[in-house]
Amino acid sequence: MREDRVNRRRAAAGTILLCLLSASAVLIARAAPQDPGVTDIDPHKAFGSKTAPVTMEVFSDFQCPACKTLYTSTNRQLMDNYVSTGKVYLIHRDFPLPMHAYSRIAARYARAAAQIGKFEPVEQVLFQNQEKWEQTGDVDGTVASVLSAAEMAKVRALVKGGTLDAAIDKDSALGQIYRVSQTPTTVFHSKGQTYPFAGVMTYDMLKQFLDQLLSQK
Amino acid sequence: MELRRETDRMMQSSPLNGRRAILWIGRLVLGGIFVYAGFSKLLMPNTRLWPMFVLKFSIAMNISSFAQQVESYKIISAEASQVVAHTLPFVEIVLGLLLLIGWRLRIWATAITAIMAGFLAAVTRAYLLHMDINCGCFGTPEKLTGMTVVRDGALTALALLMTIFAFREAREPHPWSAPEKQAT
Repeated sequence: MREDRVNRRRAAAGTILLCLLSASAVLIARAAPQDPGVTDIDPHKAFGSKTAPVTMEVFSDFQCPACKTLYTSTNRQLMDNYVSTGKVYLIHRDFPLPMHAYSRIAARYARAAAQIGKFEPVEQVLFQNQEKWEQTGDVDGTVASVLSAAEMAKVRALVKGGTLDAAIDKDSALGQIYRVSQTPTTVFHSKGQTYPFAGVMTYDMLKQFLDQLLSQK
Repeated sequence: MELRRETDRMMQSSPLNGRRAILWIGRLVLGGIFVYAGFSKLLMPNTRLWPMFVLKFSIAMNISSFAQQVESYKIISAEASQVVAHTLPFVEIVLGLLLLIGWRLRIWATAITAIMAGFLAAVTRAYLLHMDINCGCFGTPEKLTGMTVVRDGALTALALLMTIFAFREAREPHPWSAPEKQAT
């Protein structure tokens, strides 16, 4: 009986060790990608100072609910406390997921709006009315609600021109290099290091992380 | 020779019948899945481990994403989802390990069956309501489909069988225990 108990304990210890080894193997297999550097920046979709110590690239999909949460809960405070103060350079990257029917169309409209200097209001209206236009598919009407008739005419012309997809695909290809598999994914660049993170972060979490990054020597 | 005879007797008295096979399969499959599910929720999709503040941020992001997935089922409030997201991965790891070890099997098998039944109810409800959400079963996003319901159903059935058999097995004397002495 005693031998039986000892054997059970050994088996338990072996099981725990096996689990820890398996978890380590999974983590090693998913090692961080190489840093390709921050390239191909559309100045209309980037905010803050290029010389900021931290660069944040946000790979986002206008139809993804988590991207909306990130935008509405974190973006404003990030812009006020880190981007405007020159600590963070924020870049918006398009990563429309194929599972969302209208996300590419929305990305086209946002890019077209960026080209006429109206990215911010269009980004805001697309995220704030996400539930509406994803039901109806009326991206055009949603964007038109924040632009003047003349601006909307320019945006429509750019969307119809068919040249925007190449830029969207370029962002998506960059996302592939960072192994982006879900949205939102935020890639932080600081002091030659790259830190990609998938998922939604609260402002408090982000603040703590950015302060640590900024305090690194 | 005496030892050999005793070993033979023990082996003959504990044949691997269907009931014990289900118990073993249940322990290995469900224990393994629970341990993996718990670890993956804490360490995926963000897997950076160093330096320490990056590890902390990785885990915080993973838990935050899991909380979002729990909330997307629209069964419990945002606050309750946070509580679930901060506790469930640890519960899964502990229960999975206890199941693999086999200590107090009846208790932990019952607990795992109850949790699996809860998961099955949640995914079935979401599927019937045509909710376009991630299942939140593991760390990486996985769309909730009919296959998710089938998989959870199969695992719940296995957990239930394992629990029933664990209770039945406990009613019988352990095959390796010493034979009862005859009253003189």
